[in-house]
Amino acid sequence: MFAIRTDNLNRSFGGLKAVDGLSLEVLPGIVFGFIGPNGSGKTTTIRLLLGLLDPDGGKAEVLGFDTQKESDQIRARCGALLEYNGLYERLSAAENLDYYGRIWHMSKSEREARTQQLLTPLELYDRRKEPIGRWSRGMKQKLAVARTLMHRPKLVFLDEPTAGLDPVASAALREDLESLAQREGVTIFLTTHNLADAEKLCDQVGVINHGQLLAVGSPEELRSRTSAPRLYLTGKFPPEAIEQVKANPLVRKMDKHNSRLVLDLTDLSRSYEIVSQLVQAEAQIDEVRKEKADLEEVFLSLVEEEKRGGK
Amino acid sequence: MIQDILTVTWKELREMFVQGDPRGRSKMSLILLVIIFGIVLPLQNGREWVSSPTSILVWGWMPFLWVSGIVADSFAGERERHTLESLLSTRLSDRAILFGKLLAALLYGCILTWIILLVSLITVNVAYARSGLLLFSLPLSIGAILFSVLVSGLAASIGVLVSLRAGSVRQAQQLMSVGMLVLFIPLMLVQFLPSSLRQSLIRDADKINPAQAVVWVAVGLLFLDGLLTAVGMVLFQRSKLILD
Repeated sequence: MFAIRTDNLNRSFGGLKAVDGLSLEVLPGIVFGFIGPNGSGKTTTIRLLLGLLDPDGGKAEVLGFDTQKESDQIRARCGALLEYNGLYERLSAAENLDYYGRIWHMSKSEREARTQQLLTPLELYDRRKEPIGRWSRGMKQKLAVARTLMHRPKLVFLDEPTAGLDPVASAALREDLESLAQREGVTIFLTTHNLADAEKLCDQVGVINHGQLLAVGSPEELRSRTSAPRLYLTGKFPPEAIEQVKANPLVRKMDKHNSRLVLDLTDLSRSYEIVSQLVQAEAQIDEVRKEKADLEEVFLSLVEEEKRGGK
Repeated sequence: MIQDILTVTWKELREMFVQGDPRGRSKMSLILLVIIFGIVLPLQNGREWVSSPTSILVWGWMPFLWVSGIVADSFAGERERHTLESLLSTRLSDRAILFGKLLAALLYGCILTWIILLVSLITVNVAYARSGLLLFSLPLSIGAILFSVLVSGLAASIGVLVSLRAGSVRQAQQLMSVGMLVLFIPLMLVQFLPSSLRQSLIRDADKINPAQAVVWVAVGLLFLDGLLTAVGMVLFQRSKLILD
């Protein structure tokens, strides 16, 4: 059984297609990253999956339940940290968790134990009695993640959990999410436009733009599938050497930045041919590095392809 | 369902009374209300405070004032502070959320009114009792308690409806203030009637059996409470609230 399964899901607002024919399968127990620029349909997808909105067409199942007919069953088994953290700033951290524990009918002792279990690794337990109004954004976001996990959900939706955080807070939260995901063993559906988050946290990634799913796979698969193998060289490259390499049919694309040459190749295993061609043309090579493009480059190339109409 | 309603009510009351600034009313302003309505006004009115049948109007009017001040926040405030969508994404049913908020507003109105009622009784007794305790008559006591519940319910259900539709807390509060003004304009206008007409109205009012009047007004309020709550149930739609 899939944790999430959608079939040709559609939702429009006026003339705008927020989600356009989305078909997706997410296995249980993984961290699935849904990446896309702002306004690409990520939040609408979460709202559809939680049954907060009805689709215009298509079908979706979450944990085996139909999002239109059994949305209460879905919400009973899931946790969600949506666009805003949804915390009550006049209440203390412990009261915020307590409220959600009560909503899921947890006993008092269970709520207290779970509060300690969740807040201790996040280094918030000692401050649990403080009203959270004056907490930093990073601390609130950590608390919101803890609140999402309070009732031990089977599936957690996290909508841009690191949005608006500074790089240090963002990295700290990412680490916390990683260890929480491992410890709790839940399926996580994470939307983000922060590709570092997706790269480090996700087992599977889906790329969405203009409501359409452009690609799905592991970050590794996406890098292999959608971008050319890449060769990085540093050194001194005479103009003739550059011209010769540019003409080589192995080279799909070449960029030169100062002493750095970046080549997209059709076959990375034949990169030695390029190196020897450069040496023969009297280039002085200091360093050669083979690498696949990072997720950001994959994402940009997918979006670029979509713009050109070649999905 | 009952447990879910009580959970929502617990959070609402916690926010109102225990932590931080209760819905724009500081704890100081609550104390001020108790001082004005529980001490100053009873001292001014003397024994009349407990013996006059017209004091029932005060007990009927007070909860509307308290509740309308806080209930505007119920949905508009959650929307404004971005907590509504998280709440809607939980397992709570629409009715549990709606009734939880209604119950919290109703309890707020009743508790505050009863505290003031008790304080005013103590004030009148300390200041004016000569021989034996000064107490409200039985019909007046029942009327005050009954009206505080029903009027709190009325204010809560109107407030929740306004709050569901309002774009912001400020807008909801303004609408509630206008509503309250409309409700009390007829009472205020009585002062400007010719004295002969006023006297005749008072004579007519004296002919009314107070117990019967309390029952009829209570039935009317109960009907209104039920009707407005039913409208609230129809208007409460998760997807609509999300898109708003």
